[in-house]
Amino acid sequence: MEAFLIGLENLLQPSVLFAIVIGSIGGLAIGAIPGIGPAIAIAILLPATIFLDDLVSLVLLLGVYGSSMYGGAIPAILINTPGTPVNALTTYDGYAMTRRGEASRALSLAYAASFFGGCFSILAALIALFAFGPYLRDLGALFGQRDILMAAILGSVLLIAAHRQTMGIAALLFGFGFLIAMIGRQTTRKIDRFTFDFEYLFPGLNLIVVIIGIFALSQALILLTGKDSDPPEARVGGGALLGFAELSKNKIVTLLSALYGTIMGIIPGVGEFVAQFFSYSTARALSKNPTRFGHGSAEGLIASETANNAVPAAAMIPLLALGVPGEALTAMMMVVFFDAGIKPGPDIFENNPDFLFSLFIALLLINVLVLSTLLLSSRLISKMIYIPNRFLGSLVMILSFVGVFSIRNSLSDCIFAVFFGYIGFILRRLDWPLVPLVLGLVLGSIILERMTAGASQVKSLMDLVNRPVSAVLAISILVIVCFIIWSMVKNRRPYDS
Amino acid sequence: MYKGIKAYFSRHTRDKLEAKRHSADVGSYFRSLITTIIYWPRFDIYLLNMISEMKYNLRKKLDLGYCNLEILLKAIGDGLAKTKNKGDLNSLNLYLFDEQFPISENVQASFESECPPDGKVKLDDLFAFKRKRGDFLFSSVLLIAALFFMVSFFTETGWQSRKLPNDLGTYVLHQFGFGEIEGKVVRFGRILKQSWVGPLLCLMVLIPAAIWNAKSSFRVHRYRKRFLLPISIRYELEKYVAALEYVAYFILYTVLVPILGYLMSTVLLGVFLTWRVGYRTTRWILTGLLSSLIIVLVFRSFLQIKTPISIWLYDFLPSAMRGFMLTYF
Repeated sequence: MEAFLIGLENLLQPSVLFAIVIGSIGGLAIGAIPGIGPAIAIAILLPATIFLDDLVSLVLLLGVYGSSMYGGAIPAILINTPGTPVNALTTYDGYAMTRRGEASRALSLAYAASFFGGCFSILAALIALFAFGPYLRDLGALFGQRDILMAAILGSVLLIAAHRQTMGIAALLFGFGFLIAMIGRQTTRKIDRFTFDFEYLFPGLNLIVVIIGIFALSQALILLTGKDSDPPEARVGGGALLGFAELSKNKIVTLLSALYGTIMGIIPGVGEFVAQFFSYSTARALSKNPTRFGHGSAEGLIASETANNAVPAAAMIPLLALGVPGEALTAMMMVVFFDAGIKPGPDIFENNPDFLFSLFIALLLINVLVLSTLLLSSRLISKMIYIPNRFLGSLVMILSFVGVFSIRNSLSDCIFAVFFGYIGFILRRLDWPLVPLVLGLVLGSIILERMTAGASQVKSLMDLVNRPVSAVLAISILVIVCFIIWSMVKNRRPYDS
Repeated sequence: MYKGIKAYFSRHTRDKLEAKRHSADVGSYFRSLITTIIYWPRFDIYLLNMISEMKYNLRKKLDLGYCNLEILLKAIGDGLAKTKNKGDLNSLNLYLFDEQFPISENVQASFESECPPDGKVKLDDLFAFKRKRGDFLFSSVLLIAALFFMVSFFTETGWQSRKLPNDLGTYVLHQFGFGEIEGKVVRFGRILKQSWVGPLLCLMVLIPAAIWNAKSSFRVHRYRKRFLLPISIRYELEKYVAALEYVAYFILYTVLVPILGYLMSTVLLGVFLTWRVGYRTTRWILTGLLSSLIIVLVFRSFLQIKTPISIWLYDFLPSAMRGFMLTYF
């Protein structure tokens, strides 16, 4: 309880509250603009966080992360274009409702479902912190270097397995990310790895440079070389609160979807897509009118929006508990943790419990703030859809420069960022996933760091897996690898990817 | 009747259309020239592509993504045939861009959701992925890059100064409890600490994945070739070349910042890019200018992010003004 109160006190500082407001409203607007997702916004904001207080930086990024999906539902419902990739399933029923002239109903349902999903996972995390707090403090003793090494390997394997149709590509990009993590001079032995005597590469490639290049600059190039879309005009009416009444009529679907979102969010590398799939399929199976799904079903919309908004809070759990990010956005947040000198991992429950409470209460505040903003200014936010893509591209390019340059005032960083931006542009054009590359870089660094740190305790190969936690994780890795091989053999088709 | 159409041709949309026209005349001349040269021997295919692109654009413009274009055009045609004069156009219920649309029964019937109709959503639908043209080329490049790093492994990772047990085979077997080693056994951790272990692990993922990916990509390429599907990658290459133009602007901007200062270069780039992408009306140029100024104010003045400050341009200002500019811009 003491940690909770300290966490709350930390949160009530004016700078933190201001960051929550800016992050939430900014994230909402960014989510509502198709073509600019939270990943781009967080990538651009990352260098600015160096100059801000730790908690201010984190709540700012959390604000963007937590609110973007609310905003993403607006273009998905109004113009059949998801604002963020995770809102793709919302278009199935949301746009069909708009075509029926029920745009306001669809939006109000989406807001209510998103709010419920978001609050459900946050409250679940807070209750878990209260209930298991004393036990979680002992978790640090259970997790040694080798256990975290295994957790990072498990995260990598899960990441590849989660890219069902693009497992080969995911593995390849993960490998390249891992390789980038290795570039630089090994400090202890002064041996250069893949530097090719190029002085710039001696300290290694900066993670933020790669992230801004891959996410922000690549998207700027896509927008600048693409065409402006002409979305049809859609009007948003009132009655935004009616969604809550409708939500209460679909209790089971709502609860199950929130549960799926929370569970899938906790598993690293799985995330919103699979959570939505499970909740949508379950909602359809339970529905009295399954044929309505895809043609403006309220249950379908609830399932999709509840599940994807339950993920952000849950996705923070593996990051905080194991120090293993499950997806790109949490990987970016890890940079802030490193910068703040807080090492996410089991020790955080012992050393910084108030920090954990601050984060989850901030997420709760973000949800309340976003809902209030949406209820008051839906019409205004829906206008963001009509900002031309190519003009946005030019702004993203300018913002990317300041993001890269501010890290260490290096023009070489900018050149490398644009190089990665160009690679990201090609990957985007080919529809290849970008996340494995960035997670390869982050998880690769963790694997290397933990392997070197834990080496002194390793007498033989079996010492890597002779602890209870590492043994369980190693078995899980084996099971998933077997599943990958089995699914490859099962789905083998002559012209499949 | 004209409500929707009027909305469509509002000022904002007009600007967009104009932007499209403008953007076509700078970089696109170069690209059109390349395209014409490339496609000259198969001009018939080029023409067909143009027609299909025109049809696609019409669908997109009229928001008919999931609607049968021919049915709708027929409906409009029938409607027009019934009208005697311009005033009768009001009798046509074609509220295409209104919230009330579609009133017409035909249009409503033509809407199809993207949701699969077979009664259940498959996980594969969510992760649907099809290799595009250009995939094989890029996969091959990545395979070559992976092989290059594999070759570099022996010179760039400290492999030359490796410290391994004398009888490596027996040592490996011993790790799994099979072989017996006489004397002192080297700690496995001492091997793990060496600088080449990380790169080796990485290459163990990278090389098989690169081969697997290139093989899958080649299979798709071969399938397309076998069934006479389009395999030309010229369109993709043109896009890659087009992106290089903006890469060049970014590099130029990077070079200009230390010379002209962050404020001047950002404003210049903001205005230039707005002009370049085709938004050339005063309103848009001013929007570009203001947006760039806001970015400078937020990042340089408010967040105090460090940018090059020894700017010769500021030396021309009065000393008090110069100090202010150096601090905040």
